[in-house]
Amino acid sequence: MEVKEVITETPDTTTFRLQFKDPEVAKSFNFKAGQFGEYSVFGEGECTFCIASSPTRMEYLECSFKKYGKVTSALARLNVGDTIGLRGPYGNYFPIDEMKGKNVVFIAGGIGLAPVRCIIDNVLDLRDQFKDITIIYGARSVADLVYKNLLKEWQERKDIKTIVTVDPGGETPDWKGEIGFVPSIVEKTAPKSDNSVAIICGPPIMIKYTFPVMTKLGFREDDIITTLENRMKCGLGKCGRCNIGNVYVCKDGPVFTYTQMKELPQEF
Amino acid sequence: MEEKIISKENLLKLCSDLLKNNVDIVTPGEKGYIKIKNESEISLNSKSKHTKASFKEYVFPKSEPIIYYKKNQSDVEIIEPKVEEKTTVIFGAKPCDVRSISILSKIFNWDYKDEFFNVRSRNTVLIGMMCEYADEFCFCTSVNLSPTSSDGSDVFLVPHDENTFGVKIVTEKGADLLKPYENYLSAGNSEKTKAIEASVKQPEKVFDAEKVRQWISGNFENDYWNSIGKMCLGCAQCAFVCPVCHCFDIVDEDYNYYEGRRMKNWDGCQFDMFTKHASGHNPRDDQSKRYRQRISHKFKYYPDKFEEILCTGCGRCSRGCPVTIDIKGIVTEINELAIK
Amino acid sequence: MDDIKTVAKELLTSGKVNAVIGYIRYGNDKRTKPFIAQKPEDVDKFVINNFILNNLAVYLTRKEVSKLGKVAVIAKGCDAKAITALIQENQIKKEDIHVIGINCNGVTKDFDIDFNSENIAGKCLNCDVRTPKLCDSLVGALADIPSGEDLKLKMIRGVEAKNAEERWDYFEDEFNKCIKCYACRQACPLCYCEQCIVDKSIPRWIESSATKRGNFSWNLIRAFHLAGRCIGCNECERACPMDIPLSLLNRKMAMIAKDEFNYDAGTDMNAPTLVGSYDLKDNEDFIE
Repeated sequence: MEVKEVITETPDTTTFRLQFKDPEVAKSFNFKAGQFGEYSVFGEGECTFCIASSPTRMEYLECSFKKYGKVTSALARLNVGDTIGLRGPYGNYFPIDEMKGKNVVFIAGGIGLAPVRCIIDNVLDLRDQFKDITIIYGARSVADLVYKNLLKEWQERKDIKTIVTVDPGGETPDWKGEIGFVPSIVEKTAPKSDNSVAIICGPPIMIKYTFPVMTKLGFREDDIITTLENRMKCGLGKCGRCNIGNVYVCKDGPVFTYTQMKELPQEF
Repeated sequence: MEEKIISKENLLKLCSDLLKNNVDIVTPGEKGYIKIKNESEISLNSKSKHTKASFKEYVFPKSEPIIYYKKNQSDVEIIEPKVEEKTTVIFGAKPCDVRSISILSKIFNWDYKDEFFNVRSRNTVLIGMMCEYADEFCFCTSVNLSPTSSDGSDVFLVPHDENTFGVKIVTEKGADLLKPYENYLSAGNSEKTKAIEASVKQPEKVFDAEKVRQWISGNFENDYWNSIGKMCLGCAQCAFVCPVCHCFDIVDEDYNYYEGRRMKNWDGCQFDMFTKHASGHNPRDDQSKRYRQRISHKFKYYPDKFEEILCTGCGRCSRGCPVTIDIKGIVTEINELAIK
Repeated sequence: MDDIKTVAKELLTSGKVNAVIGYIRYGNDKRTKPFIAQKPEDVDKFVINNFILNNLAVYLTRKEVSKLGKVAVIAKGCDAKAITALIQENQIKKEDIHVIGINCNGVTKDFDIDFNSENIAGKCLNCDVRTPKLCDSLVGALADIPSGEDLKLKMIRGVEAKNAEERWDYFEDEFNKCIKCYACRQACPLCYCEQCIVDKSIPRWIESSATKRGNFSWNLIRAFHLAGRCIGCNECERACPMDIPLSLLNRKMAMIAKDEFNYDAGTDMNAPTLVGSYDLKDNEDFIE
């Protein structure tokens, strides 16, 4: 795939807009919101992350990554016109059809907005098929907020409710959004749980404290959905490292309901 | 199942012919399974100890390229390697080793089909041999195998005496291999084979795999795991000599700035790096969690998914463990905990 | 001389230590395995014989063991050298451990074989630390031990007699057997790095594949990292499932350290380490 555009989201997070080099592949490639890919920089290796753009917008594929290890650092050094590899799409996806006709709450923290964004865009492109839509997004600081333009766009829309928050101490003098940790902002916002689905993604600590808030608000455990990450290599259910008990995150996940997660051995 | 008899002399002739016909023969040698150059190197000893490593490497190499890449400015060209379609005969393997291919085949063929494994295993003919070696680390009978099991073999040999072998032709693949050499075989004596098989000493059955599976299901947090975790040094000797451990890593290796290859390498669940995220978070951050994964994968997760125990009871991992962590002893203890 | 069970039991009952790392018999009479006793009655299983092959010092730097608090460890003379080296390199503090030294009458090369002049481990043949230099208690009594031929030294002389190209080929063949299980590293008491250089990926110094290049660089670099540090317990070689003669390089390095710098690894816990110190009189004629 060719890197068509490089967007610097935060000092350590980058988004690529990608296009297939082979038009045939571009035509035949399709995926569902929530699936992931194995991206490669040849000579450095492969790295796993979700496809961040919506399947309703196939002109480009987008992916966002935080510079952490060998491959993400190499990705961050690439420029427009460079080539990367993509294997995928792999894994399961968000149950968008089952979400139709319901209220949808999206909750994300930090880079965790990337996997949620694909389903947000997907839902927004089919806006009339869903009821109330709420987006709650938080990051450590204002500088750490990703997709700033999108956030602005969402906040300007009248048909959805978007709340952006930063952790206490992460605000700037001119910050106009909320200040507080994601779980408490969720509690304060109290999105209605009746006929609702919640999609949550963020750092483990955020997920841990948000789940109880959701149950307190009356969400059914089957309606609380998250997407997990684990170290992966093959994406094909073979290499043996991403399993949590019987479950291969790369095949049976990455999307799990809270009900499913409670049944798994607590090893993630 | 058709049964024949072959003399030692004819068996050597058979191997010699196979070698001449460009067939690779792999046999248990002094230090491991070796590819032989001369038929005299063939192993005919059913009493020999297990080799340190299994023959896994011949179907699932320790390191193999999965793609080659060439970088040209910002463009990349990818070349996919082809596995050579060449017949390999694994000769004289013990039943516990032979069984590994069908167990491995499940993981490499559920969902995505791994052609690297499939081409090799398709071209591998397994000539198993009855086993008359059993030490304190052997437990094939506890994982539903036996020293006389022809399960998984294409051809199975039962030594009648020093110079005569009963030949069970188990599969069509086995029959096809032997077809051109029919004149080396004579009419079988299945009565004698049966009598010999009945006289073989079977390792004692020490645990009930189903009970073990159930115990593991309910004891993820049991303190028992810590007692092993503190002894384990965290190497991958156990996984790498195991006939059925199959975890791997994928890494890129540049030859130079422009060219390189992507390698699939054996990897082991006892390494701390195995599951460590780039962020530093590690779901299995303690040796006891890693050891729990090893036992659970073998006796619960794999059986749950593929109805197959991920262990053949060969005892290699325990014989070779630098600190003698004995899988047979551990699973027997789990069995006892399960009964309690 | 006290017996091991009495000493270990006293240490545990008095609360001087929380655990004692020792050996128990396993499987047959010619095999033992390491065991960590945390209760006084656990020490009844402890044995001292000619099959206590493991160097238990390897456990002292492990996270799973150090969280037990103060521990006692049973040490042969060679094992005590490893403990000394760990103290020298600031990996453990002397006051945090109690060393139960044993008067050692030699061990076998491997398990499941008889102890005799043919099977005695090479390191025991000219051992100068049959009574450990570093110990807080001492158990057992010295007895005559079988003499045997130092086959490893013979192999070293054989490799020395080769020319550079032959030597390269020899080691290349041996290292080709490597499967990268890292049993050598994990069994080595002095391979305690939190992240081994072979696991570092930015940049990747050593290819992780078990190929000619990856294997050669791994085995050679590990030998270099042990130069002047290896105390010769030979656990790496014993742990190796592929029978690579790792001790050839390690022992040769130790011989050079002795000849060139008069340095013996693991003999003095207060001495500076060989590679961590220098002397103006150090031999430098190898710099070309």
